Amino acid sequence: MIRPPIQIGLGLFCLLASGLAMEAGAVPIVADGRPEARAVQQADDASQETYGCLLCHADKRRAYQMGVHSERGVRCHDCHGGDPAAFETAQAHSGDFRGRLTKLETVEVCSSCHGDPDQMRQYGLPADEIAELRTSRHGQLLLDEGNLDAPTCSDCHDPHTTLRPDDARSGVYPTNISATCARCHDDKDLMAPYGIPTGQVEAHRHSAHGVALYERENFAAPTCVGCHGSHAALPPNVNEISNVCGRCHVNVRKAFDLGPHGRVEGGKAPLGCTGCHSNHSTERVQTDRIAQTCEGCHRAGSAEATLGAEVEQVMIRAETEIARAEEALSELVRAGHETSDERFRFRGAVTDFGRLEKIQHTLDLEQMTDIERLIASASLDIRGKAEVSAEERWEHKLFLLPVWFFALGIIFLAGSRLRQMRSRAPDATEAG
Amino acid sequence: MLKRARAWLVQVGDDLKESTDASLLSALRFLGLLYGPIDRRLPIDEAYRKARARRLPPYVGWRHSFGGISYLLFMVLVVTGVLLAFYYRPSVDEAYASLQYITTEVPFGWLLRDLHLWAANLIVLAIMAHMARVFFTGAYRPPRETSWFVGVLLLFVVLAFGGTGYLLPWDQWAYWTSTEVMDVIRRTPVVGGPLSGMLTGDLFVSGATLSRYFALHAIILPWAAFGLLVLHFVVVRKHGTAPPKGYVDDGRAGVPFYPNQLLRIVLVSALVLAVTISLAALFPRPMGDPATPFEVPDRLVSSWIVVDVSLGLLRTLGVWGFVGFSALGLLLIILPLVDRDDAKPLRRKPLVLGVGLLFFLGFVAFWAVGRQLDSVPPSTQVERRIIEERAIPNLEAPDRDAVPEPEAGQVP
Repeated sequence: MIRPPIQIGLGLFCLLASGLAMEAGAVPIVADGRPEARAVQQADDASQETYGCLLCHADKRRAYQMGVHSERGVRCHDCHGGDPAAFETAQAHSGDFRGRLTKLETVEVCSSCHGDPDQMRQYGLPADEIAELRTSRHGQLLLDEGNLDAPTCSDCHDPHTTLRPDDARSGVYPTNISATCARCHDDKDLMAPYGIPTGQVEAHRHSAHGVALYERENFAAPTCVGCHGSHAALPPNVNEISNVCGRCHVNVRKAFDLGPHGRVEGGKAPLGCTGCHSNHSTERVQTDRIAQTCEGCHRAGSAEATLGAEVEQVMIRAETEIARAEEALSELVRAGHETSDERFRFRGAVTDFGRLEKIQHTLDLEQMTDIERLIASASLDIRGKAEVSAEERWEHKLFLLPVWFFALGIIFLAGSRLRQMRSRAPDATEAG
Repeated sequence: MLKRARAWLVQVGDDLKESTDASLLSALRFLGLLYGPIDRRLPIDEAYRKARARRLPPYVGWRHSFGGISYLLFMVLVVTGVLLAFYYRPSVDEAYASLQYITTEVPFGWLLRDLHLWAANLIVLAIMAHMARVFFTGAYRPPRETSWFVGVLLLFVVLAFGGTGYLLPWDQWAYWTSTEVMDVIRRTPVVGGPLSGMLTGDLFVSGATLSRYFALHAIILPWAAFGLLVLHFVVVRKHGTAPPKGYVDDGRAGVPFYPNQLLRIVLVSALVLAVTISLAALFPRPMGDPATPFEVPDRLVSSWIVVDVSLGLLRTLGVWGFVGFSALGLLLIILPLVDRDDAKPLRRKPLVLGVGLLFFLGFVAFWAVGRQLDSVPPSTQVERRIIEERAIPNLEAPDRDAVPEPEAGQVP
């Protein structure tokens, strides 16, 4: 049996120990309803066994455990409030219990951590998403006007299975993000009041960007957020378009800025890049349709349209030279020639053609013709080799003349000799 | 001066003619090419005279020339093969480049290569024609069953020559055709796995396979062919050419080998060589891109009859069709054991006739089918695997409702 002074001593010891522990920060301190940074990093003190939420909401557990919040120890009550240690519904749903969060509450709850640089710094995450959201059309509608058609955080990021953006299962993974946006932006009824057209996602899927992303698995190709931004999503205005495209198409933008379209009054040409290439269904303007595209804005026969036709001719000639060089190179390979020199020249020509494609945005014919000459020179060189090879193959056929001359001579001599012998000795039987 | 030179040339010509008429060896002696004492000790002249005096049976005709044509083409393959081996290098890094060198840099290298290729095609046709003649005249029956056995074995040796030689150019078409063939061999029951393992020497067709194929093509198979050819000729010489049905030996002397049969041989050889050279010059085999196991070509350009037949079989009847037809070919070996009765004509033996017709007509039919195919290699598991690996697993946003719900009342 423990004596009273010892009991008192043990009690004092426990009190002291717990006080020291609190000083060391081992126990989470809840200040203004938010757990401290350290507490988020560590496992929740409410163990699996005593976590009351799971008794009723077992269905959410597996979804939650797949997410990144589970890894970081964010628990149900951190977002939904209430008392996780309680085993009775009434007690559990008491206090600061919020239950199912509204769209506005969601922004508030998410921003309690994701808007705090002190908490986000350790994960290398930005803490300005909410500030960005306020600048977006989504944020303006939701936060300023209280319009519940606008999405909140959990409409793009699953609230329970919150996955990292580089997780292929995530709704914001590059190949999934357009489908995530399409959930609202392909809904005609939802978009109609705002005058926003639908079908952008399908257009993007078949665009040069979509083909690069989905078919060639080029994850550098932009998705919706590449041009519109993610949390600060807004359509770029006319003056911004060439800057948006120019982030990736740097050389095209430089060329464009040097050209007449880039120098027009006000800084940028009407519609910028999208004037010729459209927006969501970004397409290459086919070489033979350059002049036609120019005539979309410029009167046929005008100086501008004529310049467009000349640009088209240069591009067609260069493209034809590339195709002819490629065919000649293929012929050389088929004929068994060692083609590393020709391949090198062809690669050079293809690089020049890529340069020409960019330079054409300056509409500087002189510069374009110079590059076209380089391409034509490489093509001529390769085709010259192919022609020499073809001549050699033709000469090989001439070899047949002496072969057949001798062969027919032997056949004739042997045949006549055989006939001669048969006529001399008619008795000799030659069956067959 | 000119008159004297002309008179001298005429004299030499007459002397030569006279010598040749007497004996070829006399001509050699006349030219100082044969040393008398050697000839006296080794009875070369006597052996030669004996061979010259040999007479063939009167029923031997033009249709018997396919065997000789096969041998001539074999010799063309040997000569061109040896010359190609001077330049060819059997390694992954050098094989393709050495082929390029042979084709474009070596004098008449293009002719060597394409002559080798076309002779390899024509020899298959010549052997099939030779076998068909032997089959339909019933010449495989005893006592000539050994020459039939050896002949069928020689056919398989020639097929093995082609199969191993096909990979050596080491371009995409050669590589992927060999891969496809290896895939079929691997799927052949019982023997397929170990056989393909031995031939490939790796998990897929690689440098190890190239070395093995070259060793088989240039060292092992030539010895096998040489041994079988000697055996074939010895037995053919021993039993002679099979007489036609109902032939009665009336004691007629038949056709002398020299000069009648020799002239025929010269005539046919000149024709066959001219045709082979013409095919080589007019239809050279184009070269594909260098072989790579990481890229499946759009199509396979076939350059060997047997590949055409195999593709025809694989595309129309599948792997089992290919295996079945090969088994039919093997069945031909035991034909003389099954059909020993010389009295009954072939048309009275429907089973034997059926097997033969199925094989020979099937060969021609599947060759025609194979030529029509602009083949892609979809049957290779390799390609399927690549496609599966490259398939984008999930283009849609994940379905949130798909997160499994635990059963009601289940405590986690």
